[in-house]
Amino acid sequence: MAQDFLGELWVSAEKSFSQIFVVIGLLFCVFNFTNCKSENSTTQINLPTREITDDLSKQIKLPAQVERAVSLAPNLTEIAFAVGAGDKLVGVTSYCDYPLEAQKIRRIGDTMNPNIENIIALKPQIVLVSTASQIETFTKTLDEQSIAVFVTNPNSLDDIYKSIFQIGEIFSREEKAGQIVDELKRRVAEVEVRTSTAKVEKVFLQISKESLFTVGKDSFITDLINRAGGISITSNISMAYLPISKETALALNPDAIILSDSEDNREPSDVFKDSSAVKNGKVFRINADLISRPGPRIVDGLEQMARALHPESFK
Amino acid sequence: MTADKIKKNKKFSAFLSLGVILFLSLLLTIFIASLLGSEKLSFFELNESQRAILFDIRLPRILVGACVGASLAVAGASLQSLLRNPLAEPYLLGVSNGAALGTMLAFAFFAQIEFARPIMAFAGASLATFAVYQMAKSRAGMNTERLVLSGVIVTTFLSSIIVLLTSLLDAAKLRSFTFWLLGDLSQATKNGFYLTLLVAALGTIILSSQAKALNLMMTGERDAFDFGVEVKKTRLIVFGTASALVGISVAASGSVGYVGLIVPHLVRLAIGSDNRLVVPFSAIVGAIFVVLADTIARTAIAPRELPVGAITALVGAPLFIYLLRRN
Repeated sequence: MAQDFLGELWVSAEKSFSQIFVVIGLLFCVFNFTNCKSENSTTQINLPTREITDDLSKQIKLPAQVERAVSLAPNLTEIAFAVGAGDKLVGVTSYCDYPLEAQKIRRIGDTMNPNIENIIALKPQIVLVSTASQIETFTKTLDEQSIAVFVTNPNSLDDIYKSIFQIGEIFSREEKAGQIVDELKRRVAEVEVRTSTAKVEKVFLQISKESLFTVGKDSFITDLINRAGGISITSNISMAYLPISKETALALNPDAIILSDSEDNREPSDVFKDSSAVKNGKVFRINADLISRPGPRIVDGLEQMARALHPESFK
Repeated sequence: MTADKIKKNKKFSAFLSLGVILFLSLLLTIFIASLLGSEKLSFFELNESQRAILFDIRLPRILVGACVGASLAVAGASLQSLLRNPLAEPYLLGVSNGAALGTMLAFAFFAQIEFARPIMAFAGASLATFAVYQMAKSRAGMNTERLVLSGVIVTTFLSSIIVLLTSLLDAAKLRSFTFWLLGDLSQATKNGFYLTLLVAALGTIILSSQAKALNLMMTGERDAFDFGVEVKKTRLIVFGTASALVGISVAASGSVGYVGLIVPHLVRLAIGSDNRLVVPFSAIVGAIFVVLADTIARTAIAPRELPVGAITALVGAPLFIYLLRRN
């Protein structure tokens, strides 16, 4: 008896359940239909007329004039402002605090977890991304909305110049970008001349104190140290950023320590207390925003670094 | 009509209407969730980009969340009955971690193949299930402590492999993975929805079809055998299906914890422990639970997001303690 009842119950439950899924399926068919329609009309507005190549060697189609862009990294926001296209930015990340005008732009989450709903609502023609770190589904979704994604991945000062040129090209500001790069190159050359005769210092660059992080061969900061008349003692490691064991760090015994200065990275790690850098007072703080953002201000960072390492060359 | 039969009919219609009410509340939850988000949408005059946000981003995510919730709750409900253990839960047994490891391996070695992730997740979940079961069973049968301990061992072992793997990936990818490991629905896509829906629906139907056997298994494997249950076959079906459900969920959204624990317990408190009801009802309640949790994850600190697994654990753990104390 009880079995009958439950059997009956099960059959009806199964029925209603399968109906549920049919309904959901139907709903989805409707969504797809409405959407196909809308996609056709978007392509007409943003008719792509030119192509550029990003750092992942991907061809990006762009309209003649880019009027609406979203930047997902502070360095790209800074470059856009530098080439005079700050007014074209309609969305930036919560880290984009420079220049001051950038703080008035709509925030769309942070670099690692941008909010895709907000981005689409802003109707950008292009989204500027700083590394390949973005999850591929994110790029795919933007592709489906016919929003271009431009990826930059600078590993050296020359790559940063390239980023500036590329962003100049995106916003049709090639001339201004060229001027900026020429000026930056002039300043870099001056630093290199001044430090060329100085003794090369073995530098440890501390990104964070706890846990101890530094830069490897693939970081543009390593290039920066070279040009400032130093050599990064961790430049033989082929990574961009890496955690380093305290034992190894202690054995490195750097001549100088540069701290990427931020709230939790004001002091050198305790393992350096007997190093020649600490004994000789060669511990320098440089604003993290200047040396960790591959944008135009990187040369300010370079100049500060060179002056710190070789004060005698700048007398 | 005898008094007995009338009583049964009454009970039957009561459960049926409860099912209908639950289903309507799921639809209502989905509807309300689709109104909420980091972008304000007015439902009656949607422009193009708003339509794209609703139909291409928000709704697929909500529906994937519903499927994930249903899958995990159904997997939890049937594992608890099969193992006669109220603490059997995909996340606590390490099954989710197995699926997570599978997904990560697929990401590292077969990044180009879209279907590699759910398949590897399923493989990982199955292996973890098998390992836990082998460790937990003994000649004297399987007691709660043994099972929980085996779960802890498998979970921590797999966690350590996951940590090893993430430290080999570069820093940027690592950060997005740590978010995903906590349970994150932000990568849900339409294609992902079709697949999760398919697996969730099939899995729920298959496990509901085993409900009668599961009811008998709850009294003990020997008794079940005496009643004509093919114990080995049932075990294989339940383990396999639960692994597929957990695998597809983890591939879609990482490890969303506590759903498989909280939801079946709530359902049992409300309607008793007959699996013919517990399994399908858990599917609906699980879907509601995850959709609600993800709505909080999407909106609480907008435009930034929280991982949905943090919300389910935050709600789930205290609720679970409360349930334990009430019993």
